[in-house]
Amino acid sequence: MRPETLRRFGKGCISALVSSGILFAALIVTLLAFGLPIVPSLHLIVDGAFGDRFGMSRTAVKMTPLLCTGLAMIVAWRAGIYNIGGEGQFIVGGIVGAWTASFLPHDLQGIPATLSLVLILVACVAGGSAWAWFAGWLYVRRGVAVVISTILLNFIAVQILGWAVSGPLQEAKHQVPLTEQLPDALMLPKFNRQMDLHAGVIIALLLAVLVYVFLFLTKSGYRLRLIGDSPNVARANRMHVPREQLKAMVLSGALCGLAGGIEFTGMTGQLGLGFSQQWGFLGIPVALLAGLHPLAAIPSALYFGALFAGSENLARFTEAGTTIVYVIQAVAVLAFVGTRSIASRRDAGRVEDDSPTETLVGATAGGTS
Amino acid sequence: MNELLLLIGYSAPVGLAAVGETVSQKSGVINIGLEGAMLCSAFVSMLVCHATGNAALGVAAGMLTGCAISLVFGVFTVILGGDQVVVGTAINLFSLGLTGTLFRSIFGQSGQLISVSKIPNWHGLDPLLAFLLVSLPLVTWLLTRTKWGLAVRSAGEYPKATVAAGYSVLGLRLEALTLGGVFAGLAGTYLSLGITGTFAENMTAGRGFVAIAMVTFGRWKPSLAFASALLIGFAESLQFRFQSYGWKVPYQLMIALPYVIALLVLVIVGKGAASPQALGQPYRREN
Amino acid sequence: MSALEIRSVSKRFGRVQALSDVSVQFNSGEIHAVLGENGAGKSTLVSILAGFVTPDEGSISLNGIRVPVGNPAECRELGIQLIHQHFTLVPQFSGEENLALGSFRGLAGTLDLDSSTREAKTIAERLGWSLRLKDRVATYSVGEQQRLEILRALALGGDVVIFDEPTAVLSPDEVTDLLGVLRRLRDEGKIVILIAHKLSEVLAVADRVTVLRKGVWVASDIRDNVTSPMLAEWMVGEIPALQEHPSYISEGTQGLAVEKLSVKGARGEVAVRSVSFNVLRGEVFGIGGVDGNGQLELAETLVGVRSADSGTVRFGDTESSPYISYIPQDRQRDGLAMGMSVSDNLLVSGIDHPLLTSGPFLRPSAIHTWANGLIKKFQIKVESLEARVSGLSGGNGQKVVVSRCLDRLPDLLVAVNPTRGLDLKATQYVHEKIREAAALGTAVVLVSTDLDELSAICSRRVFMNRGEIMDGPGAEALLGGSEAL
Repeated sequence: MRPETLRRFGKGCISALVSSGILFAALIVTLLAFGLPIVPSLHLIVDGAFGDRFGMSRTAVKMTPLLCTGLAMIVAWRAGIYNIGGEGQFIVGGIVGAWTASFLPHDLQGIPATLSLVLILVACVAGGSAWAWFAGWLYVRRGVAVVISTILLNFIAVQILGWAVSGPLQEAKHQVPLTEQLPDALMLPKFNRQMDLHAGVIIALLLAVLVYVFLFLTKSGYRLRLIGDSPNVARANRMHVPREQLKAMVLSGALCGLAGGIEFTGMTGQLGLGFSQQWGFLGIPVALLAGLHPLAAIPSALYFGALFAGSENLARFTEAGTTIVYVIQAVAVLAFVGTRSIASRRDAGRVEDDSPTETLVGATAGGTS
Repeated sequence: MNELLLLIGYSAPVGLAAVGETVSQKSGVINIGLEGAMLCSAFVSMLVCHATGNAALGVAAGMLTGCAISLVFGVFTVILGGDQVVVGTAINLFSLGLTGTLFRSIFGQSGQLISVSKIPNWHGLDPLLAFLLVSLPLVTWLLTRTKWGLAVRSAGEYPKATVAAGYSVLGLRLEALTLGGVFAGLAGTYLSLGITGTFAENMTAGRGFVAIAMVTFGRWKPSLAFASALLIGFAESLQFRFQSYGWKVPYQLMIALPYVIALLVLVIVGKGAASPQALGQPYRREN
Repeated sequence: MSALEIRSVSKRFGRVQALSDVSVQFNSGEIHAVLGENGAGKSTLVSILAGFVTPDEGSISLNGIRVPVGNPAECRELGIQLIHQHFTLVPQFSGEENLALGSFRGLAGTLDLDSSTREAKTIAERLGWSLRLKDRVATYSVGEQQRLEILRALALGGDVVIFDEPTAVLSPDEVTDLLGVLRRLRDEGKIVILIAHKLSEVLAVADRVTVLRKGVWVASDIRDNVTSPMLAEWMVGEIPALQEHPSYISEGTQGLAVEKLSVKGARGEVAVRSVSFNVLRGEVFGIGGVDGNGQLELAETLVGVRSADSGTVRFGDTESSPYISYIPQDRQRDGLAMGMSVSDNLLVSGIDHPLLTSGPFLRPSAIHTWANGLIKKFQIKVESLEARVSGLSGGNGQKVVVSRCLDRLPDLLVAVNPTRGLDLKATQYVHEKIREAAALGTAVVLVSTDLDELSAICSRRVFMNRGEIMDGPGAEALLGGSEAL
């Protein structure tokens, strides 16, 4: 190995270690803050997440939507677009998927089940992209901050879901706010009938690789990263910044919609009020803690998937529920912001410049350069 | 008269938050964690009121909580230079998790319906509403007619000028955030102790973000921001009106109406020239 | 007689010694110019005097009383007033509000615009200035803004007034007026410190001169003892050899043709007014003038970043669309993607290179070889291709931009202040590369505020003023530079 490669590998290992340390510390601090006994709690969490094959299956099915929505956030945030509307895009994806499913013949004569399944997933992708496109369009055309518009669209999506499952898409008997259950043939294949684990996890892992290839090995992905890092440089080199941003937003929405589709056809099989357990929103910390790197999103999603699975187990014995994981995620994100700030301050002193006074004093004295 | 007070009551959470957020944004900071600050205040004020039976203590606790959460946001964004969206999102998530977890562990798994004594009112006018109405001219005065207000506005427009005039941009922004936090705290408190007399998980339901939208729509003027909030209050009250008229509109769509309106007004105003020029840009001072 | 004295002041930023062991005495009733190249330490010295930067060593005293270091408020209290080079006015505030902002001694209390600006208004009257104090500063001309800055500083009172490169943005009339103000302040018995890098201004107005070079004190003397060549030698160390003008291929190879071009600026104002000119292949066409007279908008329109309001931009003899390269003015903002690697930054122009991509995909190994080639060819000093470009020095950062612009020989190269903030060596390097490109047949448009730069490499030059191109004698005076006085 060349020394450069070696050094980068070493640096990667160190930052991975630091990240793991922060994630673990966030877990411990949160448990302590809620007055939970550390060792028994950790035991319950680990047991619930990895204790047996059922635990591991639970971890994997929770990791799946987290990974998909995390990747969606990576695509948008890398392009400098703060999509925090994964939740809405996830839900709308699910709604459009369920709506499409309601048109498909129930006995499946004439249409191969796989084709129907693909149709449903495509519909989900379309739904998620459309919802994201709207926010993107508002941004590039009307200058509406994506942060605000996507959040508002999240709440609108939740209400549309509530209306859909108790109105147009409600099950035939009109008794409970749920859609009709998908027939097994239209669901993603399961590995074992006793467990929840479905083929969606493989799709999610494949997506991580695909997003990596897209971002780092294609022209389009390069443009997207450039626009996210320095829209002015992209503009000065005659790239159409708004169009690229809109593209990133649609792609991000597509991934969220697909996440909704995988959850729908893999896990729930029907839509209810609790269709999304904040999966779209929780993709943000997954992406942030992965440093917006698609491959690092895999361990990041796995960690939080395991925490969710484990905290369900914890909830059976204590009063703390899965919401405790939100706190752990938030603490971890803040810890990252803090350490990065300190690190960048340390680095700032090492920058070399031909005219240091020009840059450094300029920053210090407010333009006294 | 009572109709109007009722409308103001509905608008108060968004209105209070929007007035406070106007101050923060005038200093150049968008408090994306506003939603979280409101949620935590709603919870803490309910908790204190539940424990002491004293609504006034609840209000005080809610106010302090709003300040504290806004200050956490300030420390991570203004001082540490963290991204406002990242930190704000983390704070919202934190608040959601914290209040959810504590609520369940204190009041039981499903969060049984508890009710606490609400803020007393006189013909529909309670102290918080009075505070809101008085604060409108007061905050306007503070921003436009005091030395501090001029300095805060300069920090939001052109921080270099603030520094050259000898003031700390970081300090001014933290002060503005704290003041915004007082309002955010009262906004959350009004949800739990003013309107419902109880707490529910995620009960702010996006009102913090609606408030941010209203600041934009109100062209960074406290009174206009409040007037915009009245629009949201009106939209919220429509669902009850429609019910009383016997009109059949799916209630979920009625609930969605305020968000739709917030989105619409943003589309209408678009990019604002009235926005503080340094809004959302971290200020770095390296020594 | 009062005096401001700095003794053995040193300051280090990271690895760079910005000032080392500098001692100077400034006397009242004197205009004392501090001269030096970019990066000589003038800015650091000013920042230390005004309290924005804390020196590592050394002390400052005013009339024998020690001035506390690193405290802008106290320096101001003691009467050391700084007039910033880049204006520190809030454009959205009125003139009065800006004056008021600088006048408070604390933030408690209500705002009384009348009483806080009374002192400034008196001074304005004394100087015979009438300013539209109720109007927003955004509507002021550059000269008016500077007057406001000066008023604000003088209103604070005190014996020391520091002007930090005050003429850089002024028109000739405004410069004359400003120099008058300097003399007047001197005659009132103030200590006037003028930071400058234009010899002509210094010789025109200064009573005493101090020269800094690379953070070190070189010399101090009274005006009558120094000459222009002496000062130049003190500043640069040795006088660079006269640069020869390259030969141009101009036998009718039609290049850029601009006809009646009008462009709107960011705020919808007319930035470029019906401008026409031709640039032949092999020619370096210089556009000078004070910043903000439409040069930037013109350059952006030429490269296709901004669209024209009316008029045409054509490129003569190429059937297909011409290959255009652009060296933007603001390296940190428009030139380099600071969060990305050296390789990614080079790829900005390589992205359309057929050898570096196949279909929608990038070819990492080809890119690696190509980027390494560029780094060798253009002598860019980098740790590795994967290192972040933000860690590079200014000169090496600009080399990254220049190298990717000239990797494939462009039909048209547009460069805006390509050497701003660079040291002499890096400047010469960039000039050399631009001339090379021209010699090989590129049509070059060089926009620069630096008259010396225009003289050094342009075959023809014009000047821009309020969106229009001025030619012929007298136009150069618009620059306010060394030939203006």
